[in-house]
Amino acid sequence: MNLIRTELRKILQYPTFWVIMATYVLLQVLLIYFSSSLMVSGQSLGKSLYDFPNLWMRFSYIAYFFNLLLGILVIVLITDEYSYRTLRQQVIDGRSRAEAVLAKFYVTLGLAATGTIFLLVMGLLFGLIYSKDTSIGAIFGKIDYLSYFFVQAVGYMCMAMFFAFLIRKSGLAIIAFLAWSKIVEPIIHYQIDDSIDRFMPMKVFGSLTPTPGQEIIDGLTSPTMVLSPGWAVLPALFYIALLVLASILLVRLRDL
Amino acid sequence: MATVLYLDELSKKFGSLQAVDRLTLQVEAGSIYGLLGPNGSGKTTTLGMVLDVIRPSNGSFLWFGRSISKETKQRVGALLETPNFYPYLTAEANLQVVADTKQADHRHINKMLDMVGLGTRSHTTYKGFSLGMKQRLALAAAMLNDPEVLMLDEPTNGLDPQGIAEVRDLITRIAAQGKTILLASHLLDEVEKVCTHVAVLQSGKLKANGAVGDILSTQDQLLISAEELAPVLQLLERLPYVTQFAQDKNSIRLTLSEGYTSTDLNRDMFAQGIVLSQLLVRRKSLEAQFLELTQK
Repeated sequence: MNLIRTELRKILQYPTFWVIMATYVLLQVLLIYFSSSLMVSGQSLGKSLYDFPNLWMRFSYIAYFFNLLLGILVIVLITDEYSYRTLRQQVIDGRSRAEAVLAKFYVTLGLAATGTIFLLVMGLLFGLIYSKDTSIGAIFGKIDYLSYFFVQAVGYMCMAMFFAFLIRKSGLAIIAFLAWSKIVEPIIHYQIDDSIDRFMPMKVFGSLTPTPGQEIIDGLTSPTMVLSPGWAVLPALFYIALLVLASILLVRLRDL
Repeated sequence: MATVLYLDELSKKFGSLQAVDRLTLQVEAGSIYGLLGPNGSGKTTTLGMVLDVIRPSNGSFLWFGRSISKETKQRVGALLETPNFYPYLTAEANLQVVADTKQADHRHINKMLDMVGLGTRSHTTYKGFSLGMKQRLALAAAMLNDPEVLMLDEPTNGLDPQGIAEVRDLITRIAAQGKTILLASHLLDEVEKVCTHVAVLQSGKLKANGAVGDILSTQDQLLISAEELAPVLQLLERLPYVTQFAQDKNSIRLTLSEGYTSTDLNRDMFAQGIVLSQLLVRRKSLEAQFLELTQK
């Protein structure tokens, strides 16, 4: 509790935090709002995008792109502690290194929860306005996608956290995080067999929010082998634990 | 007296650089212990190791006779190198973060801000502070849970004369409360003014340690000149309280044994009919003393 209270003190008064969160909310609202006019194979997706219960799947897929922003926020929050040398001061003042890492892990949980609640509010808002079917059964039909999104957001941020503790400089850590998640790992995916690469971390996190309409695409081309969201949860939790432990180990082994 | 901190052959190697080399020291409760050495002599590395932020390559240390833990950390207030705070938080909010970590009573925050003279600036963000104010805030943070030991690393570094005076005054006031203070500094003058004990470090090695009076000589040096130096030199030979003298170009440098001052010398010179054209009391150059110590 003490750890969380301290993190809140630091974050809530940090202008950068509010700027990034405002960007997160604003861009996501815009994308959700305008995605209905996206053209797919010559016809507009239209308001059917907001139909319950598939809305949860679509919204969590949209939110998936913004996990990068949350990851960058986590990197900024962690590397700040290095540049202000406050991590060092906290260890001097009596905090253990594991606690210092755990505090940041709790921040990722908090941010993921915030993102999930935001998604829930957006979903209910757009759904209740535009959805054809607003029965209780439809509204809560696929709401479990929100929990997949939560795990995914935590996973993305833990990956970012690992790079932040590894590199300790904000710019370089952000580049490394983006390079790994968007370039290096995808390249590896191409090189190795689908049956193996579907277990790689970014792919596992990605499978938690499947591309809407993937089953149609799969019907047209050869099906890609990805884990279903339900099956991806377990390896995702495994990677989250691994990344947290690796971060603790890194901080323990090095001078501050 | 109880030993507060004990270092046993503590060593740190950064790559091929031996930053601290088998350092063995003992800091007793109630002392103001100065760690003196030029920049890069291993002072900060030594403090970093006993504060748990730098991992020793070899050797060990004990706080209050036991190994470092959350409990021992809470009995020590420390600042290492620079004051470390969140620039966007106010002085008060920064101290709240520190109080959380130290599990200190939040009611002490305003008292400490008053103590360091920042009471009226508690709602100013840290980045708007002058260097002296930052340093004082760091002292307030270190003192927050009323620790037995205060550890300060170059506390007056980069401050203007007024800032230096304020920080030194604060240290002496804190010491008067019976706290043990460990102070790292490259300023001999500072160590001499503030400390009771001193350890001299150079290139990570311990060169000397003990009571300040034993290690740093406080004898003054006199500089005299006269129209004719020859009779002066003759007289100096005969004066028992002149411990040593040497002639420069047209003046003589000399030191007197304890208890004698320039007045005695001047009187004796005059009694012998010698009128000095110059009589200058000069503190023995601390830099010279330091070089003597480190070249031993």
